[in-house]
Amino acid sequence: MHALWGDRVHFVDVMVRQAHPGPAVPPYATIEQKLADAEAYRREAGITWPVLADDLDGTVHQTYGGLTDPAYLIDADGRVAYYNMWAYSPVLHQAIEALLAQGGRGVVLGEGIDRTPHLLPAMADGWPGIRRGLSQSYVDMETSLPGSATALWLTHQLRPLLAPVALRATPLPPAVQAGILLGVSLLVGAQIARLQHARATGDASPGPRRPGHRVDRWQAG
Amino acid sequence: MTTTAMTTAASGIPVRPATRANWESPAEYNYEHFRTKHLLLDARRTVETSGVLPGDPAPDFTLPRSAGGGNLRLSDLRGKPVVLHFGSFT
Repeated sequence: MHALWGDRVHFVDVMVRQAHPGPAVPPYATIEQKLADAEAYRREAGITWPVLADDLDGTVHQTYGGLTDPAYLIDADGRVAYYNMWAYSPVLHQAIEALLAQGGRGVVLGEGIDRTPHLLPAMADGWPGIRRGLSQSYVDMETSLPGSATALWLTHQLRPLLAPVALRATPLPPAVQAGILLGVSLLVGAQIARLQHARATGDASPGPRRPGHRVDRWQAG
Repeated sequence: MTTTAMTTAASGIPVRPATRANWESPAEYNYEHFRTKHLLLDARRTVETSGVLPGDPAPDFTLPRSAGGGNLRLSDLRGKPVVLHFGSFT
């Protein structure tokens, strides 16, 4: 994203609370700890733009809605152009494109908001965070929503496979989108055709054929 | 929690009711254990559109940069669009 737009758009990251605290990563007690993590995060992610630390009460984070991983696109006049409640790069990418096309000012892409909980990118990227909190973060997450931490681990293992969709900066090319749509349509269409065929031939059950079913009918006729 | 934090943003711009309703006290905000209620709160925040609405002024703030890089004020970046992203270390 930054590589694509960095010369025309400012990027700013704000470090919030420990979302999944653990013994090694307890809730922040001082702003120095928060700043140190902001720097560690900056280095680890190879970020070249400013990473800021919010105050301990989360004043700025909460003013901007308090969600776990939100992103805003702010226009050149300091007004919100787009609110991506669960940050997903391809969505932001489209918003930036639209904003620059209209001179860097105004609300973009309809009402300027995306409420879709984009969980796939969060899952593909979330495991290192949980791992930092050792077992507590894992157990807490499993308790809050059974299976969620394990799913996070699994997604992390599948990361190379999911990356083309989950971690991409730009929307999928139209040809790929059309391909996926066509594939799904064909599957659904085939299923409908199969059901209709089953109904037409009097076989109400589209499931596994029951042995002897047709023989019984022939005998009865 | 201060009254100012409830009614106004860092810049003095009023915080939207949906955000104010979901505002956490310092102790709630810096929880020690992630729980189901935090997932539900995020779901509620999404449904109620907690935050700043498109078209509204982005509340200004001044926060310290990591690695002793001094302070950054959001409004100093005017003139170019800004991608503002919030994230956690864990």
